[in-house]
Amino acid sequence: MTSTTMGRGRAAPAHRIGARREALAGYALVAVPMFLFLVLNIGSILYAAFISVWQWNVRTGPVKFLGANNYLNALKDPIFQSAVGNTFYYTVVWVPLTMAIALFLAVIVNQKIRGRTFFRGAFYFPSIASSAAITTIWIFIMNPYGLFNQVRGVLGLNPLFSLIGFGPNQDWLGDYHTAMNGVIILNAWTTSGTFMIFYLAALQAIPNEVYEAAAIDGAGAWNMFRRITFPLLRPGHFFVATVGLIGGLQLFDQAVMIGNVDGAPANSLMTLVLYLYNDAFKRLQFGQAAAVGVLLFVIIFTATLIQRRIFEGREVGA
Amino acid sequence: MRRSILALVSVAALIFGACGSSASPTPSTGGGGASPGAGGSAGAGGSPGVTSGTAVLSGWQSSPAEGNALTQTLLGFQSTYPNIKVDYQPVAGDYPTVMATNFASKSVPDVFYVDAAYASTWIKDGFLAPLDSYISSTGFDTSQFFPGYASIFKGTDGKTYGLPKDGNTIAMAYNTDLVTSVPKTMNDLITLAQSLKGKSGLKAPMCLNPGLDRGLAFLYAQGGSLLSDDGKTEQIDTPASKAAVQWYMDLFKNGLGQTNTQLGDGWCGEALGKGDVAIAFEGGWLKGAMDAFPKIKWQFAEMPTGTSGTKVTINYTAAYGIGVDSKNKDQAWVLMQYLTGPEGMAKWTEGGIAVPSRSDVAVPAGFEIIVKGADYAKPGSGFMPGYPDVQKAFGDEFLKQITDKKYDAGPVVDATKAKIDQVLASQ
Repeated sequence: MTSTTMGRGRAAPAHRIGARREALAGYALVAVPMFLFLVLNIGSILYAAFISVWQWNVRTGPVKFLGANNYLNALKDPIFQSAVGNTFYYTVVWVPLTMAIALFLAVIVNQKIRGRTFFRGAFYFPSIASSAAITTIWIFIMNPYGLFNQVRGVLGLNPLFSLIGFGPNQDWLGDYHTAMNGVIILNAWTTSGTFMIFYLAALQAIPNEVYEAAAIDGAGAWNMFRRITFPLLRPGHFFVATVGLIGGLQLFDQAVMIGNVDGAPANSLMTLVLYLYNDAFKRLQFGQAAAVGVLLFVIIFTATLIQRRIFEGREVGA
Repeated sequence: MRRSILALVSVAALIFGACGSSASPTPSTGGGGASPGAGGSAGAGGSPGVTSGTAVLSGWQSSPAEGNALTQTLLGFQSTYPNIKVDYQPVAGDYPTVMATNFASKSVPDVFYVDAAYASTWIKDGFLAPLDSYISSTGFDTSQFFPGYASIFKGTDGKTYGLPKDGNTIAMAYNTDLVTSVPKTMNDLITLAQSLKGKSGLKAPMCLNPGLDRGLAFLYAQGGSLLSDDGKTEQIDTPASKAAVQWYMDLFKNGLGQTNTQLGDGWCGEALGKGDVAIAFEGGWLKGAMDAFPKIKWQFAEMPTGTSGTKVTINYTAAYGIGVDSKNKDQAWVLMQYLTGPEGMAKWTEGGIAVPSRSDVAVPAGFEIIVKGADYAKPGSGFMPGYPDVQKAFGDEFLKQITDKKYDAGPVVDATKAKIDQVLASQ
């Protein structure tokens, strides 16, 4: 730093003072949100880690030091294990499914077609509807005597469904075999609009010249998508996948609305966040709830790192 | 370079500052449950007529009608005790969660609702103030409470931590157009349900709960139980209990009952109201709910008697309690002894919004069966610590069995036994 300022002669001190003042103003402006972030986010994360080694009474604080026991008890609990299983299953199926739908929609509404604005609006619409409202509608649709079962009956699809073991009044969200898939389809539908917007932005960042060059080389539409669009969307994929992964591991509201707080039917909608909520507010075992929170943090953090590594690895390869 | 060190140091200072302030509570500041000052006046104060001040009252509110009934009751209190002003602050949203945050910040209302389901946890965690000294110093008569309700709010130390504000028992509700002769025994019930099977318009004869919420009443009726009388050992893994669970599950197996979700209804009251079933097992809350279905004519009847040979059902109740951290305990007691006393409870229940938990209060019209059940009902929740976990263990496995059409009580009993053992061991 000194070597560069040395060469500038007299102008240097004034410049340095100006820069310092500017930096000071910068830190001052950052200080307020930074303070709130440190206290409310980092502070509560560290506090949760502190609580997680205690038997914790919400009124009086620490009761008994338990060390790692809160963690061990959670890990040993079969309900926690199924919560981990359900959450991973949901994330692993839901994220790619939603990405595929979103990419498909984004490519469509990126074409110069008539009524493009209408389609963009229509596809995005489920994302702006309140998740409580749309989940309630979903519960009505998937009811054993609801719209879905009625429609497939009218269309004469029931023999097809009975072939895979579903009766005419299958209780989709009340049967523990199908409830989670019901939530996955619901959320793929409602979230694909948001992901579509992300993809649309990424699509429009791809320069037109690339396509023109490919067209001159005689590439067809499918080849252009496979060789140009898809690989050049990598930043888009990474962003959508990361947002999706973090959101997926935090599944809560739809599960609660459909299966209530105990993850009904038969724990099939028990998620990690729901388990944490139950520990804290139903059992008032705040120590164990904090331990589950720390575990959830570790899981999300690790999963994001792994994902990053995968995407980076491809970049090197490409 | 220097600047970045400065920035690092200030950031570090912020982190430690933040932690220092938030992570400071140590066991010593918490105190082992005794609250300084306020709790001391327990024995002396709280005498009605002399005490003056304000009492903050909180609870959940299920309906506007319930709010009106409470307002009327509080007006009655105000005219009897003009010296005490009641500040009614109903809690919107998830009541136990909101109260947990109140307990954490030690700013709790003076009198508040305590549901049976979490009463034992609140007592064990030291959130509630014992009421014995108030009861004895003011000579409050607690003998008129139905014992099945009052017992739930006693701590393991034998002290009283709440007085039931009202109560409900589970009874059999039936469609009077379809059920002409009321079953007295469980065998009668099966015969009746068989005859209703396949009747046009009915999706199933009965709406049944796939768990202990209602199943516990059937378990007791058929001679089964969860716990020994002293509450120290499990009793679900006995031939009698196992047979009772199997009997209940066979109702589903034989198509005599379905769950509300199988019927496509929100709850069994809705199933009865929409005419999907002819019989449902509910409490007094059904009465108000059935107003939405004026076409269906229905009636309550006592639970049929099972192989146990004695009348039995289960109850659900909630109490008024005073917090350890409540600021106006004396005023709170004056309000509480009115609300749970014969005069206040008569006002609270006369509109038919709630059912009395005392035997010396007139029974509101239409709730005769519900109050009759209170004589012999056993607690439907709150009778053991960790009961919600036991309920869940039972219900999860029970639902799996009927979803997979296996109808085997064995795994249900095993899962329930394991959970009861775990809960009892952790006490």
